[in-house]
This record gives sequence, structure tokens and C-alpha cells, in this order.
Amino acid sequence: MSKVPGNAEPRATDLELIRRVAEGDEPALARLYDRYSGIVYSVAHRVLQDSGAAEEVLQDIFYQLWCTAANYDASRGGLGGWLLVSARNRAIDRLRRRKPATTTEDERIALPGNLESEVAQTELILKVKSALDILAAPQRQALELAYFEGMTHSEIAERTGQPLGTVKTRLRAALETLRQVLNP
Amino acid sequence: MNEHPQSETLFDEYALGVIEGEELHALRAHLQMCEECSRKAEQARARITLIGLASPPATPSPAVRQRLLESVRPLARRPEVLPVRVASRPWVVPALAVAAVALACLTGFLLIRNQQLSLRLESLESSQTQVRAIEQRQQATAKRSRAVLDLLSSHSTIKVSLAAVKARPVPQGKAFYSPEKGLVFYATNLPHLPIDRTYQLWLLPKSGKPISAGIFETDKAGNGQILLPPLPRGIPAKAFAVTVEPEGGRPQPTGKMVLLGAAS
Repeated sequence: MSKVPGNAEPRATDLELIRRVAEGDEPALARLYDRYSGIVYSVAHRVLQDSGAAEEVLQDIFYQLWCTAANYDASRGGLGGWLLVSARNRAIDRLRRRKPATTTEDERIALPGNLESEVAQTELILKVKSALDILAAPQRQALELAYFEGMTHSEIAERTGQPLGTVKTRLRAALETLRQVLNP
Repeated sequence: MNEHPQSETLFDEYALGVIEGEELHALRAHLQMCEECSRKAEQARARITLIGLASPPATPSPAVRQRLLESVRPLARRPEVLPVRVASRPWVVPALAVAAVALACLTGFLLIRNQQLSLRLESLESSQTQVRAIEQRQQATAKRSRAVLDLLSSHSTIKVSLAAVKARPVPQGKAFYSPEKGLVFYATNLPHLPIDRTYQLWLLPKSGKPISAGIFETDKAGNGQILLPPLPRGIPAKAFAVTVEPEGGRPQPTGKMVLLGAAS
């Protein structure tokens, strides 16, 4: 059995690392990248279905983090939430070839869960995936078109060929289920 | 919209971005006036954001990390601003510093964009049409996921954190166990094993011998999981443990214990 890789430096919190990034600390940026790049890239890749484009979104987001770390305000939500929102928004903007519709400040959010540790990430991912798995296929399809492709009710209706009322009913049922499952 | 939305789901629809037209304008106007609904909208936004975590796990090329760090390197550990003599205009130094950082970021951004365009060009030259697979979910998956959620959310479920037996607690495990509903377990940061070895999870009952809860493999990141293994029902747990066993597992633990957690 291979040895457990050592970790000479104690685990720093997101906030500590962001403060260091604001001071121009490159290794701190690398550690935040290692902590969150998987999540950010997975979202961007799911939206764009293209490795190259998703990697550009990933690099842009962390470059922006480097440039704006000094303005980081922890009271407005954790880094994990901001990165998730940024990944979705930027990837959808790119998919739909539109100018960014939100600012960095709009993207700050307090998630009902912690993403700083791998264990916490795994637990939350497992819960969200299980929640989506229990949705009926048409409900899940409507939800994914909205979340991952940024479609509105009428756009989903057009894409799926379903009446607008049906789309709304399906989405509401899906959202109701998610709300029950994901509420803390 | 002067009244509160009749359905809480409307906040989720708003957060998801599916509302449009008059309905959207009316809701926005109401949110500007109503603190309570603004708070609900914010909670919905956080909830909806979590959907992104269901994205299929994908790993970026290591080159992205390298490019990112190379792009910030010229700005890393920025030295003090040059000692320009501007005593009569004290605002000039900080202003120059801010301008320098902004300019450096802009330059870096343009360099990255240039780099990315070059890569896109290369990628387009060998472009392939990607066909998006429609996910077919099986009834069994839904059933199992419902059971997993039920277990994770149940008040009667105990949560056991497993830490490394020796050295630093880098590998970690978490077990969710209900004697009636079953077991969900996952581990992170476990070292890769030789091909003839496997990890095996054990339920250590309050009395009697350990009960195997199954074997599991780890991915590249050292993550592994066991969902709802076939276990005898109604057995109170004293602890959970993970050992390294020969391929296929063993009826009773024989190998080195790498994770252990007591059920409190």
C-alpha cells in the first residue's frame, strides 16, 4: 500500500487563503484552485459540453479571484457559493453568446452547506444528486434545461415541444421536491 | 405585484431564471419593497445554486493550473511601489498603485484571452461534433436515491466520522447508519492500493463479530463509497472501520485498519 501523502502545512481556511491571495501569494491561489477547480470545471463543462471552453471559464474565474481578492467580504457568503454561481453564469453567458448579465457582487451567496472540505463537498454532492435522481424524467429534463442552459419557461416549451403550462407544472413539481429535500 | 407570492416555489423559479415578461417585472418590483420576500428569494438562490453540484464530475487539464499560475506570477508578491518623489501630491502613490494593479490585471486578462484564442483555434481545427447523450435514469437508481436521501435526512440516523488510525487524519470517512434503514458510507483521500488489495468496510456491532459492509474501490482522488449494502437489519453499531484486505474481501478483517470511527 502506498503511503499516505503528507501535508506539511496545516489546512488553511478559505478566508485565510483569500487574504493571502490579496497580498499576492501565488501558492495560496494554487491551494484555492486545488480545492475548488473540480467543482467549477464540472459545472462549466456540463453547461458548455466542451473541454476547451470550460477550461477557459475556469481560468477566467480564478484569474478574477486573484484580481479581486482584496475586495472579498466574507459576510456576503462563502467562496464556494460564489464560485458555483460564477461558473454557471459565465458558462451560460458563453453558451448563449451574451454579455455577462451579473456582476461579481451579484454572485455572492450564502450556501446552505460548506464546501471547504472534501468530505463536506462529497456529502452535499451526494445529497443533491440523490435529490435529482428521484425526480421524474420530464421534471429533471426541464430543470436541467433551465439550470444548465439558462432557458426560460417558454424556451423550454419550445425546445421540448411541450405546452407552456405543462413545462411550468413540471418545473414547479421538481422545485417543490428539491426544496423539501435540500432545506436544512 | 403588491401582495406576497402565493407559492414559495415562485422564488425558486425566479432564482432559476425561468420567469419572464410581466411576471418577472412584477416580482422584481415586489422584492424591492418586501424584506421578507427578498430573504426568501436569497434562500432560494442558494438552494438552486446547489443544483450545479449534480454536474457529472470532470477534471480539467493540468495545463490550466499551470497557465493560471504563470499568468499571475508577474503580479505575485508585488514589491512596494517605486519611491517616486511626489510629496506635494500624497494621493498619487496609492492611485498609481491601484492603476498599476488594474493595468497588470488587464494585461494578464488580455494575455490569457490571447492564449485561449490560440488554443480555441487549435481545437477548432480538429473539431469534432459532440453528441449530447440523453441521460436515461433507471427506476432502480431513483429508488436507491430515495432511500439514500431518506437515510441521510432521517432523525434516527447516526453520523459517524472516521479518521486515520495513524499519522495525519488526511484520509477521512463518514458513515450514516440507521439499524432499520441501512448504511451510507463514503471516504476521501484514501491511498491507492495494489491491484490485489481492496478496501473493506466493517460494521462493529455492540456485541459479536464484525460484519462486512462490503468492499470498495477508490477513484484517482482516493474517494470511495458504499451505498445501502445488504446488512442484517436491527443491529446497533458500536463503530465502523475500514481495513485493507486481499482482493474480493474477507469474511472477517485480516488486514491493516486504516479508518475507524466510534458510533456515539
